[in-house]
Amino acid sequence: MSFLIPCPHCGNRSVYEFRFGGEVKTRPHPDSPAAEWMEYTYTKANEAGVQKEWWFHRLGCRQWLQARRNTTTNEVIEAFFPE
Amino acid sequence: MADNSDRFTFQFDGRTIEARSGDTVASALYRAGRRIFTRSFKYHRPRGLLCLAGKCPNCMMNVDGTPNVRACITPAREGMTVRHQNAYPSLENDWLSLVQRFDRLMPVGWYYKTMTHQWSWHAAESYIRQVAGLGVAPQPGGGSKDYEHAWMHAEVAVIGGGPAGLQAAVEMAHDGSPVVLIDDQPELGGHLRYQKRAGAVASALVDQLRATPSAQIISRSYCFGLYEGNLLGVVQANPHGGAIERLIHLRAKRVVIATGAYEVPFTFENNDLPGVMLSTAVQRLIHLHGIKPGERAVVVATGAPPDEVAEDLSQAGVELVSILAPSEVIAATGATHVTGLRTKSGELSCDLLVMCGQRVPDAGLLHQAGGKLVWNQDRGAFLPAELPANVSAVGEVAGAWLARAMPLPPERVSFHKRSFVCFCSDVSTADLRDAMSEGFDHIETLKRYTTLTMGPCQGRMCQLAGIAICAHETGRTMTETGVTTARPPNPSVSLGALAGPRHHPFRRTPMHDAHDQSGAAWMDMGDWKRPRYYKTASCQSEQACVEEEYRAVRERVGIIDVSTLGKLDVKGRDAGKLLDKVYTNRFSDLKPGRVRYSVLCDEAGIMLDDGTISRLADDHYFITTTTGNLDFVQQWLEWWLVGTGWDVHITNVTGGRAAVNLAGPQARDVLHALTACDLSSRAFPYMACREADVAEVPALLLRIGFVGETGWEIHFPAEYGEFLWLKLLEAGKPFDIRPFGVEAQRLLRLEKRHVIVGVDTDALSNPYEAGMAWVAKLEKPDFIGRNALSRQAAAAAEQRLVGFIMNDASLPQDGAAILVGGALAGRVTSARYSPGNGKAVGLAWVSAKSSAAGAEIEIRVNGGTARARIVEEAFYDPAGDRLRM
Repeated sequence: MSFLIPCPHCGNRSVYEFRFGGEVKTRPHPDSPAAEWMEYTYTKANEAGVQKEWWFHRLGCRQWLQARRNTTTNEVIEAFFPE
Repeated sequence: MADNSDRFTFQFDGRTIEARSGDTVASALYRAGRRIFTRSFKYHRPRGLLCLAGKCPNCMMNVDGTPNVRACITPAREGMTVRHQNAYPSLENDWLSLVQRFDRLMPVGWYYKTMTHQWSWHAAESYIRQVAGLGVAPQPGGGSKDYEHAWMHAEVAVIGGGPAGLQAAVEMAHDGSPVVLIDDQPELGGHLRYQKRAGAVASALVDQLRATPSAQIISRSYCFGLYEGNLLGVVQANPHGGAIERLIHLRAKRVVIATGAYEVPFTFENNDLPGVMLSTAVQRLIHLHGIKPGERAVVVATGAPPDEVAEDLSQAGVELVSILAPSEVIAATGATHVTGLRTKSGELSCDLLVMCGQRVPDAGLLHQAGGKLVWNQDRGAFLPAELPANVSAVGEVAGAWLARAMPLPPERVSFHKRSFVCFCSDVSTADLRDAMSEGFDHIETLKRYTTLTMGPCQGRMCQLAGIAICAHETGRTMTETGVTTARPPNPSVSLGALAGPRHHPFRRTPMHDAHDQSGAAWMDMGDWKRPRYYKTASCQSEQACVEEEYRAVRERVGIIDVSTLGKLDVKGRDAGKLLDKVYTNRFSDLKPGRVRYSVLCDEAGIMLDDGTISRLADDHYFITTTTGNLDFVQQWLEWWLVGTGWDVHITNVTGGRAAVNLAGPQARDVLHALTACDLSSRAFPYMACREADVAEVPALLLRIGFVGETGWEIHFPAEYGEFLWLKLLEAGKPFDIRPFGVEAQRLLRLEKRHVIVGVDTDALSNPYEAGMAWVAKLEKPDFIGRNALSRQAAAAAEQRLVGFIMNDASLPQDGAAILVGGALAGRVTSARYSPGNGKAVGLAWVSAKSSAAGAEIEIRVNGGTARARIVEEAFYDPAGDRLRM
């Protein structure tokens, strides 16, 4: 694993500068049924293809960003600061 | 060209060897008459120079303590110490060469066939370990030299300094693009260096490249891997006097692979005898080192007569006995060096057998890049097809100038157990035949079963021959047989180079020197150095010192440096809202001037960290985190802030603030001497905070009690760290104050049953099972982990974190097993001898049904068991009166 992530603040940087934050998910409403919370807390889509992920630029701007990455090729299609 | 005027010496096996400028270790030894350079891996057969290009395993030696160094590409240096390896007592007489007499007992797949019972391995292991392996690893601390890492970026990386690589580098760098050229030889020029007719071309190209400002040349470096994102792993030998090797992480936008081709040997009986050499090796000896390689030579070649080699030999004064086709050759003869050749038409006498072998593209990096290698029958080589973008191949590795020198697959293979295919692991043509007859006839299974291509040369010498023999035996084509996968590292990389420098950065608190002067015994905590305890004149052992420190805190006053605590300054209109969302406790209703403890949970309700949060003003909070978790907590808070639009600013002030905890019944008296702040419990109660000057240093005082006594955690600018520490010690002198370390702190807090998150809890611990239900405020409408915690609150606990006190004087270790009725029922997380109780006390996870207060448990201690009793309350001051005094 030695791909580059185009940090929107710092530019193309080695993945080793980043901390992986997992898949981007939507947090359920506090009153949502237990099954929905279970899904959110424990299950992962584990997409074989392009998925949206959280990354933290640990050794750079120290900001959380999101990236769309193809998990089969490690090609990072884009990286951006979420709104 | 070797320069005869500049001579120097080095040591080989205790003898002095004369070398000339331009010599490699191998060329100097060859000139001095050495013919055996190593002993083979399995049979300990004598082996001499074969490729002289760093491609084969035949000259690996120990150089200045580093094993498995290829002597043929290592420049000789004045005073170096070279030793042979894999032979005892000497290269000429190696007792283990007896092994080859018993080769019938060691067929291919010997381990699989012999070690069929567990006892057979146990019986053989110690003997095998003594004789197996290549070279002896250097002892830790044995060398003064070091390894280092470097990072480089380039527009273009060219791998290989032969004519194609040089040409590519010159062209690419000519418009000013940064180009890095990597070459593994002592000099640039590739085969032009020793193929004399083209020598001038080489030096012209080298001069041109050296004159190009944007080109950088890294010689004596090999590229062992091409990874994702065009990251190249490059090892540079002896970058300077202080380092053995430098690992360069080279990132290039484009990679040009110009690794060229190397020559491989023919397979015939005794083809591994010293004196049997590749033609390129002979040319290198003659032209690079001015050495006459032998007296009487036989040349084995296919296709066109090897005019150039014949001419080189005759000019060097070597008598050319004969030129033969490989199909004529039956066997080389000789005991430890070639003395002749048995051919179909009779015996020939010679001391040098020159093989003009097939040239094979050095395509490992292309394979690693994801390129497909396709068999090309005309060129007799697997050539790259479908290379990924930004990777290209030029020169011989791409097939230029290559010609097939022999029929492939061969029309006939002579299977003989002394006809070697793999020189690294002594795999013969007969071994391959046997393995295939046993069913391992796919190239990948053949590789794994015989270890073909898996030795130090990583298949350079044997891969083509292996594929050809496999194709011949199975009746498949070369294309159908295919090529084994090349993976990094190739060639092999020393573990030292990968591990890098022996450099462990650590952090010191501002009071570090003062601790040193007080006799601190240091321990590592995360990145920090912390005093574990202080050695003084009055205590001899760690236990005695810790007990003295303990008594000082319980009876008088103690002081501990807690500067390593993570410290976050949180400001902004919505700061309370963020803390309410992320911590389990409530902070928006905390009054300024008050402190509250909380844990931090994830969505599964697992405790991630804990700490105190002080409210300094309506929009200003101060958080402490555990020492090792600062980065995590800061990132966690910022993560949950993303996209909210809330007005919160989080600043890490850990390095900027020093902190001490002053605790004990007389802590107030000590502090009073240095501050005007009203320290009475009425004005400054437990769990309150105040900003005040202490010894004229602006400080934040938190009245909290991790160790269970009246005390203050004092946070102040790091610049005053040592000053205030010494001031407090001075003010404490009348009360016999004592600095205490981490070990006393852990004991003091354990008596209070204060949990350390990450020590007493793990990745399955929720606050309910840890006995900290009060910390989760489920009435808050939402916070991270609330959903899971509300379910855990309602569910029956499976296990509980409980306190225990031993029945006798035994002391369990942290992690000791807990038994109830002989069955495993939990584990100890912390246990210490408690001077206050006269027995060991501790915390333990115990299955809920066995966790009632007063219940008896058994704990594993020193191989036996000891009995203990579960205690609900703290072991010291359960009501917490002393904290509030």
